[in-house]
Amino acid sequence: MKSLSKTSLKLASLVAVVVFAATSASAQNPRIQTSQLDVLAAKASQTVDVNIDEGLMQIARNFLSNKDADEVKVKELVNGLKGIYVKSFEFETENQFSDADLESIRSQLRNSAWNRIVNVSSKKEGSVEVYVMHSGSQISGLALLAVDPKEVTVVNIIGPVDLEKLSELEGQFGIPELRIEHSKTKRKN
Amino acid sequence: MNTDSDYLWDKTGEPDREIQQLEEILGTLRYQPRPLEIPAAVRVGRERSFFRGFGPRLPIAATIAMLLVGLGLWLGLQRLQRRQHIQPSEVVQTPNKPALDRSQSQTGVNSPEENHSSDLAVAPEPIHKTNDTPRRHRVNQATLARNSNRLRNEAARNTQLAANARQGAAAKDQLLLALRMASAKLIFAQKKTQSTNPRDLIHNQHKIG
Repeated sequence: MKSLSKTSLKLASLVAVVVFAATSASAQNPRIQTSQLDVLAAKASQTVDVNIDEGLMQIARNFLSNKDADEVKVKELVNGLKGIYVKSFEFETENQFSDADLESIRSQLRNSAWNRIVNVSSKKEGSVEVYVMHSGSQISGLALLAVDPKEVTVVNIIGPVDLEKLSELEGQFGIPELRIEHSKTKRKN
Repeated sequence: MNTDSDYLWDKTGEPDREIQQLEEILGTLRYQPRPLEIPAAVRVGRERSFFRGFGPRLPIAATIAMLLVGLGLWLGLQRLQRRQHIQPSEVVQTPNKPALDRSQSQTGVNSPEENHSSDLAVAPEPIHKTNDTPRRHRVNQATLARNSNRLRNEAARNTQLAANARQGAAAKDQLLLALRMASAKLIFAQKKTQSTNPRDLIHNQHKIG
């Protein structure tokens, strides 16, 4: 009888360890689910949905040139990344979405594994929240939620991303800068 | 009868009288060494046949002839089979002939010459073609099939490569678009942060990490 109770105790502790490991592993997953935002696509005037998983990333990496300096930079940046997921909705008018629509994203980012490094909030210009997940001393994921009165953008990058290099990319590859800041300044004026 | 005498054994001793009488009676029937006399009426031996004069040459020649006939038949069958294999592909190569026949039948007027020409058109020309064609130029059907398979495989491979290239280019475009959007939003956040707080959080994210 005593040995039976010892065995069941060991078994219970083993199950607890496995459950804890599984829970912590899912908590450490830097991939956030954005499918709840798909309901906004019906109201949006323009939708951008980019899903690049590890396999597609590998293919895209192979198609980046080794001679073009800009593409070399991109290649260095995406080296080691396991996925990039972007979902963006642009609306013709304001008030096409509410905070409740974004709650599914924010609730995932409230997880202790995510650290919010930037939170800019403005009633007129909207808000930007940048979250990173660390694995040791290295970033293992990035999540960005940008909310404008007429736009919602969620960016999720899986893997060791270099934010400094990423912020240097705008205006390259022959693509003009979005000039977000300039347009905001003009609106202010 | 004297049984002790050796006369019956080696003709020594005193002969018995009865034996002597028997010898005299049977002695007339003893073997007489003289040549065989054949009566003139009796014909000795068979008549000579026509084939007998050829000796063993005739069966040899017959065997050779049979072999030649067999060889001829075998070669004929082989050629017939080969023709049957080649004929369909050559019919495909001459598709205009039936059209010619059809046009002639539509006119409804057939001169003897036309009839002759139509007969020529109907005649199995591919067989003539096969005979006229030198052996080294004949199409090997197996090689043709192998080549067509190879061409089909190459076409499939090229299609696959083109599809991969399209997929790669699309993936690259998507990647650049995603990075551009991420970069733009990040810069916006960075600038906003700099304008409100002198600390550059993005720049110092490595230190934070």
